[in-house]
Amino acid sequence: MMTKPSLVQPPRLAVWLVNLFTPYEQSESILGDLFEEFSDLASKSGEALARRWFWRQSVKTVAHLIATGFLVVPWLIAGTVVGGWLLCWVFYWSTQKAVVALLYKYQVYAHIDAYVFWLIYAVLIERLIEPFIIGCIIAVAAKGREMVVTMTFGLIIGVWSGAGLAHFRPHWSESNFPLLLTTFVSPVMFVIGGGIVREIRSAMSRRPSATHS
Amino acid sequence: MSNRDYLGEFEHIVVLALLRLGDRAYGVTVRQEIEARTSREVSIGAIYATLDRLEAKGYVKSRLGDPTPERGGRSKRFFRVSAKGVKAVNRTHRALQSMTSGLDLVRSYS
Repeated sequence: MMTKPSLVQPPRLAVWLVNLFTPYEQSESILGDLFEEFSDLASKSGEALARRWFWRQSVKTVAHLIATGFLVVPWLIAGTVVGGWLLCWVFYWSTQKAVVALLYKYQVYAHIDAYVFWLIYAVLIERLIEPFIIGCIIAVAAKGREMVVTMTFGLIIGVWSGAGLAHFRPHWSESNFPLLLTTFVSPVMFVIGGGIVREIRSAMSRRPSATHS
Repeated sequence: MSNRDYLGEFEHIVVLALLRLGDRAYGVTVRQEIEARTSREVSIGAIYATLDRLEAKGYVKSRLGDPTPERGGRSKRFFRVSAKGVKAVNRTHRALQSMTSGLDLVRSYS
């Protein structure tokens, strides 16, 4: 009896993760190899086993690609992390100055509730949008290693912010909650920014290969 | 190239797998060959990281094959060992032989 080629698709999330962390030049061959073995395994041993195998391989491959990133391009990672840190300071400082200046210009301070509301929410929006933009910028600079760079940066900022919050713990109050929340969401926004840049680049790099045969 | 350039343990294994497979050497076959002969589960990421490092050192060369449907329309990347790679594997092999000669590994250290 001939074995029919499997039409089963590997787990989409695993494929997406591998694609996200793989340098472009390796992306086609690594994913192609995983698909080929998955397809073979699914037709021989069943879908469940093949899916488990695919997940195991994907997790190991992503872990290996992250570790390799640090070994292969340590200066690129260090440089973009330092650059991102400086960008953070410039962005945060200039936006907060701009917000306060605008509030004064339109005399919102005459109504104290409105002043506090706009001050807090403008800073909250800034803390979500700015990390996203900074994540995009450092991902653009770290071509091919977008995820490693933005994850490292997000982790450093997260630990830094967490340590700062722990230090000021006696001064916490309920009104600080939105600010506390954004402190932990900001590192995730860096990674989301990096992921989007990576996805766009990945889609662009697939275009020429679609015509290649 | 320095005469002290030896292959690392996993690099050595990967180059030997490429030599065994000849024209059929690409990610899947290399991974399966290593698993079958060493009983060690390796990830495709580890294989490519090593192959890329070897290619950067000039020990291995690669070329893209044609896309196939079972690979989701993606191409295979075939690898072969260069003359420089063969020299490196021989040098590493000689070094290991020289280090192990005269040792009765089974009796003395088991």
